[in-house]
Amino acid sequence: MTAPNHANGPVVLVQDVCKEYRRNDMVLTVLHHMNLELAAGDFMALMGPSGSGKSTLLNLIAGLDVPTSGHIQVCGEDLSTASQSTLARWRARHVGFIFQMYNLIPVLTAYENVELPLTLTPLNRRQRKAQVQTALDIVGLADRMDHFPRQLSGGQEQRVSIARAIATDPTLIVADEPTGDLDTASSTEILDLMKRLNEDFGKTIVMVTHDPRAAAYAKRTLHLEDGRLVGDTDVANAETIA
Amino acid sequence: MIPLKYNIRSLRVRWATTLLTSLAIGVVVFASVLTFGMIDGIEHALRMSGDQEDLIVMRQGADSEMTSNVQPTVARELVNLQGVATSEDGSPMASREFITILLNPRRNGAGTTNVILRGLDPVGRQLRPHFKIVEGRDIEAGVNEAITTRAIAERFENLGLGESFLVNNVSFTVVGLFEADGSSAESEVWTDLRDLTTAQRYEGAISVVNLRVPDEEDRREIVDRVRGDEQFKLKVVPEVEFFEGQKSSTIAIKVVAYLIAGFLTIGAMFASANTMYAAVSSRGREIGTLRAVGFPRRAILMSFLLESLVLCLLGGVLGCLGTLPLNGLSGGTQNLVTFSEITFSFRFGPAVLLQGMTLALAMGLIGGILPAIRAIRLEITNALRER
Repeated sequence: MTAPNHANGPVVLVQDVCKEYRRNDMVLTVLHHMNLELAAGDFMALMGPSGSGKSTLLNLIAGLDVPTSGHIQVCGEDLSTASQSTLARWRARHVGFIFQMYNLIPVLTAYENVELPLTLTPLNRRQRKAQVQTALDIVGLADRMDHFPRQLSGGQEQRVSIARAIATDPTLIVADEPTGDLDTASSTEILDLMKRLNEDFGKTIVMVTHDPRAAAYAKRTLHLEDGRLVGDTDVANAETIA
Repeated sequence: MIPLKYNIRSLRVRWATTLLTSLAIGVVVFASVLTFGMIDGIEHALRMSGDQEDLIVMRQGADSEMTSNVQPTVARELVNLQGVATSEDGSPMASREFITILLNPRRNGAGTTNVILRGLDPVGRQLRPHFKIVEGRDIEAGVNEAITTRAIAERFENLGLGESFLVNNVSFTVVGLFEADGSSAESEVWTDLRDLTTAQRYEGAISVVNLRVPDEEDRREIVDRVRGDEQFKLKVVPEVEFFEGQKSSTIAIKVVAYLIAGFLTIGAMFASANTMYAAVSSRGREIGTLRAVGFPRRAILMSFLLESLVLCLLGGVLGCLGTLPLNGLSGGTQNLVTFSEITFSFRFGPAVLLQGMTLALAMGLIGGILPAIRAIRLEITNALRER
């Protein structure tokens, strides 16, 4: 695992971004003129009530969706104008995903799940094997690589999911409620692991959460309400903006 | 590309649905291969019947052997034409033959049908491909004996080994069973030429003359000579061409068979499409995850198409395997040129099995394409939220 290579500018740059959904004649604005910068090596929590737009913002930053207006630049790529295929290639190279429900492929073993994003890289089988083993070592599940998801506990599944997220050594890790489906002990394990990824491996992390305890692991917490940024707490610098 | 094991294991996890769909596809492939095997069997019988070196001489205007007749004096002249091969004992390889129809009941009580009854010179045996007696013995001339094949003996009353049938109230006894390489000769009953014409009270009558002429130049000369002879009023047809013409009797069967196979295939496509639609809707979140981690739409499309193909090819293999125990089984149908029974053996060779697998492939591709398109049209963010 290497340190990020975006020292010259922010990893995430969100400029005047709006996101609207149209249903019949109704226009629903989910994000209003959002502006945001995230430096390399940052760990940011996105908080807010349901429907506040935090998951939408996360999806835009992760290149899963495109804004209705404004610009988003992540890891040097302008995502607002990129095509679906460009976004797919970009995600494979730069983003690791952690989901609330782990989203492991049930018919693949832990090893094969972690290997999945690596099959999109030019690495050969031997190189992929080394990467998978490193990733599973980091999450402490090297001895479970042949297990299928149904043979693992929720916490273990989430750790496999984290191994999958870091296998390609991405710059950015996005996590959508990573502890939302876990008990307290497992949540702590996962959050400790994420903190380690951020501090020891320099990964930039954006995490959506409802849980203040999870948010406390982040260096910075953004509060959203009705699609607007209402608070930005920089824990590292003990500074509250807005 | 998404690893194929993802699809194989997904099919295995839903084993009951996979098995049922494969069985449905297998039944369609089985029925189609059975029909194709039957057509191939009939065509094989007619194809095997023609020898490159053989010529059939018949009356001008006759469209089958039964409507032909050749004057005995002319027949004698034909037998001695320059270029006709000679057998080991020095006699010409030319067979004078008289063909008539035997109306005979089937063994299973399914009514009566026409069977070709052929009276021929002894040398006629040598003109048929790989003729051999497999049970009993060959006929002796002058004592009203007959030989036929196992397929005919099993299918018709009075034609089993040791049984007797009547021709114009004259009794003929079956004394032997023969094989002739699956050719159309295996659909006939043979007896001695003179015995048959005597029983029919057409003494000396000849329907056709079969000639073996090994040299191409000689063959051409004989064709030209017979055609050009106003007195003969005969035509010479290369045997291969003659039986090729009879293949027209399979056209109707072929059209119906392909139509039925086509309709069944369309039906099976719905079965595979239905299964794949179910697969796509139950795996929305997996599709969303695969897209999120960077698999492009075409990889998802290919993956689901491949899964559909594997499902259908599995059915195809089951269907083809199901037909193998029937390979070589004999059946019968009516030759629409001679209006008589033609027996055939089902032939499930590589070409026929390939046709069956092609149908399965078509079911997989066409049945899988719409569900695969649905999979790639899912919005990633919506797909990730699915249960």
